[in-house]
Amino acid sequence: MMSQRSERRGIHLDQSELLCKKGCGYYGNTAWQGLCSKCWREENQRERQKQIQEDWALAERLQREEEEAYASRHQRAQSQPTITPFSKFEERKTKEKSSKVNTVTKFFTPSAKTPPKKDTTSFDTQSSPSPSSSSSRHPPADTDHATREFIDFLKPLKSGREIFKQCRAFTESMVYKRDMGADELSECVQDFYQNLSDRLQTQFKGSTEHVESVMDEVEKYMMTRLYKEVFCPETTDDEKKDLAIQKRIRALHWVTIEMLCVPVDEEIPEVSDSVVKAITDVIEMDSKRVPKDKLACITRCSKHIFNAIKISKKEAASADDFLPTLIYIVLKANPPRLQSNIQYITRFCNPSRLMTGEDGYYFTNLCCAVAFIEKLDGQSLNLSPEEFELYMSGQASPHWPQGAGASSPGSAALSQVHKRLDLLTGLGERQDRVIEKARQLESDLIDWTDEVEQKVQSVLESFPQETHNPTATTASGTTSAAASAIDSDNVENERLPPPLQPQVFAG
Amino acid sequence: MGENVQTIPGGAQPHKDRTLNRQVRTLRVKMVLLGSSGVGKSSLAVRFAKNEFRDTSPTVGCAFLTQVVHVSDASLRFEIWDTAGQEKYHSVTPLYYRGAHAALLVYDISKRETFIRAQLWLKELEKHYIPGSTVIFLIGNKGDLAWDRQVSVQEGQNLAHEKGLSFIETSALSGDQVNELLLDVGKIQNILKVPLDGSRHQTEYLTVNRINAHFSLMYWISGVKK
Repeated sequence: MMSQRSERRGIHLDQSELLCKKGCGYYGNTAWQGLCSKCWREENQRERQKQIQEDWALAERLQREEEEAYASRHQRAQSQPTITPFSKFEERKTKEKSSKVNTVTKFFTPSAKTPPKKDTTSFDTQSSPSPSSSSSRHPPADTDHATREFIDFLKPLKSGREIFKQCRAFTESMVYKRDMGADELSECVQDFYQNLSDRLQTQFKGSTEHVESVMDEVEKYMMTRLYKEVFCPETTDDEKKDLAIQKRIRALHWVTIEMLCVPVDEEIPEVSDSVVKAITDVIEMDSKRVPKDKLACITRCSKHIFNAIKISKKEAASADDFLPTLIYIVLKANPPRLQSNIQYITRFCNPSRLMTGEDGYYFTNLCCAVAFIEKLDGQSLNLSPEEFELYMSGQASPHWPQGAGASSPGSAALSQVHKRLDLLTGLGERQDRVIEKARQLESDLIDWTDEVEQKVQSVLESFPQETHNPTATTASGTTSAAASAIDSDNVENERLPPPLQPQVFAG
Repeated sequence: MGENVQTIPGGAQPHKDRTLNRQVRTLRVKMVLLGSSGVGKSSLAVRFAKNEFRDTSPTVGCAFLTQVVHVSDASLRFEIWDTAGQEKYHSVTPLYYRGAHAALLVYDISKRETFIRAQLWLKELEKHYIPGSTVIFLIGNKGDLAWDRQVSVQEGQNLAHEKGLSFIETSALSGDQVNELLLDVGKIQNILKVPLDGSRHQTEYLTVNRINAHFSLMYWISGVKK
């Protein structure tokens, strides 16, 4: 009925257009290019497989080309000292940065003979005949940028090319593992980090800072490219958890500063300013791709919190003050995809950064805050279980407590609202009853006409045809004869002149 | 964040310019401060903070602190993770001591309930820590309140002995008692040197072994005092 109506209104859809293009008889969907879900999956799988094969072929070809190019370059570079003295490292880096754009080509071009076109494709794996099937989902500009930055960073390192090759090969191999569980993916990435950093460790002879800076860049490059694949993957229930915590935080909207014993005074403009900044920062976390950037958001948020506490209390904040305030900020901010972000950071960030370091400390605090919010009960807010239940169900609010009596305007208004709500539900019920009765009446009427018809039928059948007919004719004969006995059968009638009209004569 | 560079007196020379020395490794030593509210975790940390931040980063509180100490060819980067001591956060604190090299379990000698709570923390800790990777210190703080003592030294020692912990009574405020219980700095350095050189090619973070963390910590506490 609906479709007919909408057709009449002007959306003309032929039934055949709605069906799967493969003609399997199921309905198709424009999102699946007009196929039904089953056909689309088959079709998509085939296409993806094909693309993956193409990707591999291309990647292998590029690798070969690169290796050749590198070999020829290496021969030329043999005379140059391969080990850069550490003291000159900074200097060299800044020097090369100034001529960044040119050196991208220079560094990776083995000789002038190589056409420049090959150069761009050989290192930019995201370019047109996309080697990675994921590329269609990535904004290419972003990943391009990451790749370029990574190359720039690796340039001064003597093993830069080696590192890049490994990272790229690994990143591409991840595409094949998309059906794996998130934990396995995480293990793969973590193993890769570990192996690479072990190798760098021996190479840099234990200079931890140096290894860490390289690892940071490796992580940045890889995670920018893998973000879409590994953030909140379908194989996990991250999304469900996100929604659960979001709902939970929403339900806890009534929690006040006093209940959490938060030592900040939002009356002070500077403090409320810091609070707002902290909220903004923790929300911003979701917009970053690289785990390190996400951590930086948390750290910024934490610094603002410390600032707020310091101004309110006029002394440096301790952890006893910090954690409750962070919980308060998280409750106020309700950051999007909170669990997904935490899971993503835990899975794909360098573990040493989570267990040690400032970022790690604040991240741990955030995890604690979330864990606390999940478990939060009346006791932890110094409320009785009954009060907690009332507030959670929205029947009362700490701002207008139910027990405060009718004297309080808030509770009066609230009770009025409740009364009206009750009235409304009552009305709704009555309406439902009326509608139900009307339906019953309708069906009763239908039954009744049926019944009458049936009765008439049965009555008709109960009298034999021949006895019925004569009686009917005689009956009609007598009655009609009685009505028009005078001239109905008189054929001569028409020949008679019209009856005389009465005329009035004056006189 | 400003890092206070300390050197061990009479020991190896500090690396004035670290960029010149490619051999420098940074070993991270993560220490978690545990204990009820008001036992003086924060004041231990504040004392540390006074050495550490020369009022350069006013926005940072004293919940996370670092100090770098150079020993022969390595730097030890101490990280102090303060935790919220309120009872309601007890259930979430295991997250803090993941990967910690040392846990500093602090109680107030003038408040018996903090000693009892410390034993609860200890039970919790034992569930999570991997023996040999985390050194647990039992610290009876507020030694300056000895006239109001509710927990005897013997009790602290007994508990530490029973559970195989290191035990010290300190006073974060006066600092006098800290000194008596500390090992001689020169002695620490000698012992410290061995495992550091031995683990030269190992990967940092978690491989800092037990003895290493132990004596580094002793060193830190002596540093706090000064």
